[in-house]
Amino acid sequence: MDKREQQSLAKGTIAVLVVAALSLVIKDGYTSNLIIWMAIAALIASSLRFVLLIGELNFATAAFVGLGAYGAGVVLTILEWPFVIALVFSGIVAALIGFLFGYVTLKVKGPFFLLIGFAFTEVVRLIYTKIDIIGSNSGMVGIFPPDLLAPYYPTFAILVVGIMLLMLYKIENSHLGKTFKGIRDNDQVVLAVGINVHMIKVLCLTISAFASGIAGGLMAFVNNVISPGDFSFLLSTFALAYLKVGGEDKPIGPILGAILLVALSTVALSFGGGDHIFFGIAIVLTVLLMPKGIVGLYDKWRQHRKGERAA
Amino acid sequence: MSSHQVLLKTEGISRRYGGLMAVSELDMEIRSGEILGLIGPNGAGKSTTFNLISGFVKPTAGKLFIDGKDVTGSNPTQISKLGLVRTFQHGSLMKTLTVHDNILIGAIGAIPPAHSRQREDRVHEAAEMLGLTPFMNEVSGNLPHGVQRLISIAIAYATHPRILCLDEPLTGLNQTEAVNTLNIFRQIRDQLKCSILLVEHNMKAVMQVCERIVVLHHGQLLATGTPTEIRSNQDVVNAYLGAKHAH
Amino acid sequence: METFIQLVFTGLQIGAVYVLFSLGLTLIFGVMKVVNFAHGQFFTMTALLIAVILPFFTAAGLSVLPAYILAVLIGIGASLVFGLILYQGGLRFFQRDLEGSFILTVGVVMLMEGIFLHYFGGVVRAVPPFIEGSVNFLGVNITMQRILLIIVSMVFTIILYRVLGSTKIGKAMRAVSIDHEAAMLQGVQYKKIAFAGFMIATFLGALAGAIMAPLAMISPTVGSDYLVKGFIAVIIGGLGSVPGAIVGSLFIGMIESFGGFFYDPSIANIAMFALVMITLLVRPKGLLGNG
Repeated sequence: MDKREQQSLAKGTIAVLVVAALSLVIKDGYTSNLIIWMAIAALIASSLRFVLLIGELNFATAAFVGLGAYGAGVVLTILEWPFVIALVFSGIVAALIGFLFGYVTLKVKGPFFLLIGFAFTEVVRLIYTKIDIIGSNSGMVGIFPPDLLAPYYPTFAILVVGIMLLMLYKIENSHLGKTFKGIRDNDQVVLAVGINVHMIKVLCLTISAFASGIAGGLMAFVNNVISPGDFSFLLSTFALAYLKVGGEDKPIGPILGAILLVALSTVALSFGGGDHIFFGIAIVLTVLLMPKGIVGLYDKWRQHRKGERAA
Repeated sequence: MSSHQVLLKTEGISRRYGGLMAVSELDMEIRSGEILGLIGPNGAGKSTTFNLISGFVKPTAGKLFIDGKDVTGSNPTQISKLGLVRTFQHGSLMKTLTVHDNILIGAIGAIPPAHSRQREDRVHEAAEMLGLTPFMNEVSGNLPHGVQRLISIAIAYATHPRILCLDEPLTGLNQTEAVNTLNIFRQIRDQLKCSILLVEHNMKAVMQVCERIVVLHHGQLLATGTPTEIRSNQDVVNAYLGAKHAH
Repeated sequence: METFIQLVFTGLQIGAVYVLFSLGLTLIFGVMKVVNFAHGQFFTMTALLIAVILPFFTAAGLSVLPAYILAVLIGIGASLVFGLILYQGGLRFFQRDLEGSFILTVGVVMLMEGIFLHYFGGVVRAVPPFIEGSVNFLGVNITMQRILLIIVSMVFTIILYRVLGSTKIGKAMRAVSIDHEAAMLQGVQYKKIAFAGFMIATFLGALAGAIMAPLAMISPTVGSDYLVKGFIAVIIGGLGSVPGAIVGSLFIGMIESFGGFFYDPSIANIAMFALVMITLLVRPKGLLGNG
């Protein structure tokens, strides 16, 4: 088990470094932005998947992305503190609120938790529109990375996302990650051996919120402009689409789903109302026809090959 | 034999559900190092008693003492920390996890984070004790029912409990498996110097392995004693016969 | 005083629309134990079609009333067909799977809104009222259209009540919603009942769209906005409970009316969502629910 994990981590690190190196070479602005988008989407989808480890579908993911984005925006444009602090803060503010949110709401499960996450996202979004200092409905502008970093921003974003994804992977395979899965499978047994199930669930959500927050911070710097409408439950729905299409069983699922759907959606955007139709179909078809996503199809193919070889 | 040090004691513990007294004024104790059986006809209150002493259900009256300390109303995590660990009759397993990881959860519950080597050793010890070593990397949900029962016991064992509470552990086991499991109970008790509380329907097994038996009926204590005493207790016989002929 | 009556009336009217919505949602949830997030799309489809077809008919020379009736029939009919496809094509595989049905229907919402956006554009449309004129009640001016809305809502609520209470199919639905396995043991044909329940709910959603068409700003996302409120009403009132749906809807209608007047719509919305969260945490079954 340890060996396989080490191998995967090594492969993952190499992949991140390769993509980062590629991004240095690509000079075309559109493609660079596309790569950043894919990276951010992969991180958001992965943070959504992370909460699935305790068996909950966290529709509040969009809220934490937004809190991260607004957090970074506030630190940079209102407090006028440096970029690095803004980015770190984006993760921290999301994590803090995630902790409070989780502490209160993880007492309920399944559909109730899902609906609460949905309601929470809307409440937070509506609250943004009422606060003038962060621009209410129009949002915040002028969120730029420092001049020195700006040309290398894609590479920077990829490295940050890469580190976050590897971190999530490591946690998933650790004893803590196994405890998460144990809680998902049978929280009574975990309770019976003396583990504080509630706080472990809250910890899982907090880590996920931190990752979402960082994604939000990265998003703020690449868009330069953020507004409440960017962080509605629609964002959670996109993340869900990436996750479902890629496959929720393995960590690589959301990454694959994000890359594929972001790539394809650039084609769909030219079609009016395009990306809605596109993501809608993606979710519907995946849920009906390939519930385990791309990862599931690959696993089936491998089983088939194994069967053939044995025969 | 076993000393008479009392590990757990209930005083007048009761649980009411609306109009029904599932358990009523129950006084019982679990002594150090003993294998204690908890039996009674269907509906006698065995499950509720089990849930009461493990903290999964709060009593509506009465008290619970562990090591002389009043722990009435404590939650399962707190009671677990005091050394009482239980299994569940239905589904005591984390089905998508391997046998290794299932038992690991038990070890995680008992051993603090910085000691992962110690946790690993504990997992292997538990697997050995329950004969699960050949299955370590199998996904537990794919294994036969008998093996799954052993896994659930192993998870509890891995916490090195002082009071091991087993909820109908022999259900669905064939004769050979049941005998094998009874032997394991004795080995666990000898190895950990713990007490074992056994809720079981399998009368033969209970009479064979338990040193003392508590009999419940209609939520109340009907009798306590050694297997021989209980077997010849007229009230107990009547209770079971009555239940058999109940319409 | 006049303001108060006006606000109460507005609350009633808003609540009346939500009642039609939440009755549908409750029915679907009660019988199929499914969350249909796409329920609002029936509303949108009907309203949009009416908004587009009506001018077409009146331009073709049809007088107002027949044009309306035709447009409404087509609008509701189209929604029923859509509902049929949704049920047969997907939703019936997800019964009792709350998260799966939620995900599926969320996808359907995105798909439909995208389609509406593409074919009807983002332009907000207006539909002229069915009935002109207004009435003076306790010193307050109320348009006939709004009264019609409240009446239609009340009529169908009563009809639904009678159906659920007295007809064979209604009793079967109630049995299924309480304990579907027991109901099946008693010979209730689950599939038929689930299908019937779903189609009735679809009809109610489409009907809401038809009556609201002259009163609301019709855009491709209008159904979703009403749906979310309908959901809030159902959660607060109690999932699976018809009286709960009614109570919840009227309650939400009042919050929107009074809250919107004394504060503003966003604050009213925040209050509603906060209430939902509290309900889900403290009493997930809602005020009158039987989950």
